Amino acid sequence: MRANTITKKSFLAGNRYWIMLVAALLFLPPFSFLFQFTGDSSFCGSWCPRMFFVWRKGMTGYEYLFGFLRSYLGVILVLGMLGSTFFFGRYWCSHLCPIGGIMEGGSRMLSKGMKIDYSGIPAPAFRYGYLAVYLIASATGIGSLCCSYCNFATIPRILGAAFSPADMLYFFRAAGLINLGLVIFLGFIARGGRAYCNLLCPVGAIDAITNRLGMRFGKRISIDSEKCNACAACVKVCPTWSIEVKGNKAMIDQFSCMPCRECEKVCAKEAIRYGGPAC
Amino acid sequence: MVRKILFFSIAVCISLAGATYRWTDSAHSIGIIKASGGMARHPSILESGSSLYTLIATATVIPPYRGDARITLEGGPEMDYTIHSSDPVIDLGIRRHPRLKENVLYDLRPKDRIALWVVMKPPAHDLAFTKACCDGIKQEPAKYSGRENTGGRYTLAFYDTKTNRAVLSVPLIFTGRGETDNACEHHH
Repeated sequence: MRANTITKKSFLAGNRYWIMLVAALLFLPPFSFLFQFTGDSSFCGSWCPRMFFVWRKGMTGYEYLFGFLRSYLGVILVLGMLGSTFFFGRYWCSHLCPIGGIMEGGSRMLSKGMKIDYSGIPAPAFRYGYLAVYLIASATGIGSLCCSYCNFATIPRILGAAFSPADMLYFFRAAGLINLGLVIFLGFIARGGRAYCNLLCPVGAIDAITNRLGMRFGKRISIDSEKCNACAACVKVCPTWSIEVKGNKAMIDQFSCMPCRECEKVCAKEAIRYGGPAC
Repeated sequence: MVRKILFFSIAVCISLAGATYRWTDSAHSIGIIKASGGMARHPSILESGSSLYTLIATATVIPPYRGDARITLEGGPEMDYTIHSSDPVIDLGIRRHPRLKENVLYDLRPKDRIALWVVMKPPAHDLAFTKACCDGIKQEPAKYSGRENTGGRYTLAFYDTKTNRAVLSVPLIFTGRGETDNACEHHH
């Protein structure tokens, strides 16, 4: 539902769900176009965006760099994502990430009564607690969160399971079932569909830091406090629960915001805009 | 601020529990397929006692090897196993890739990457023990020699179909409750 004229002019704001659908077709079964071009079958391997930056205990510098080579397409993906985020905001997360897109899209298909509201959790605090362990546990050799709990491995296999025994087998293991539970409870039945992205995605966590660092230089979602009447319509539609009303004004947390522009669409006062820089 | 510290701490605790706990019904091996005999980077460790195990075997073909490879799970006692390949659901034919058919990988070429899912079902007697059975093993260990169940070592072996030479060996070790030092648990 569009309540203002700003959104109508923006291709990215008005066509987000179509863009998410195209991204899903590019990356996910049954077509997995991009993987078929590179001879891969999923994000695991040369496209892995989660593992190459993790130092594992006992690694030599050469082995660490070899990880970048092995996942060279994942490296390109992440560097491109961080670069675009710095200047334009988290468009990878909001529009292009097929993993977050499927969870959000799936969540939108369910009725409100079925959903769990996680917005009471201070997402950045939880997210960086998770990221700290994600990085430190491997470096110290006490364990790993890299592959055992992977959103980039789980979502493609949910879609592929209906067609491929190999994808189906992913869920015939304890780890597969745990991952399925995580994407269901933190994705599909979470209000907004982005609780997994907001709390447990290491790529999203690094992207969010970049978003915050670049807010003085790049374009971001911002709220004109003069126009805002604190109606909280934006708070209700924000999938990353990054808006809160304080002192009769809505405020955006750039540590969690992605430019999905759902808030912009519902703002009757046209107080929310995408532009820059947001200070 | 207190709330943030609290949730940060909760996240650290949950994540640490997740990172340190290892699921033992599945394992992932990373290996290389070489004409002179490739190996997995390290053995895959599984814990005895499950009714189903999954091994995700990934490997890269090292030049100049090319050919077809037959895959077998070696070790005793014999386990039922099936192998599935992670192929595109709808193959657009953009790029050639090896094909798996009846446990043979056809048309392996240099730099190919394979991802196989091996599902193993241990013999039924691995799961059901009786007191009499345990006592029998303890009294006459020699009689049951060679009938160890999944508490042992297996190898997922890839043999070139022309030369019959091993081009990749993935060691699989079943530990825990099935280790050989505990006859009552997993020797039969």
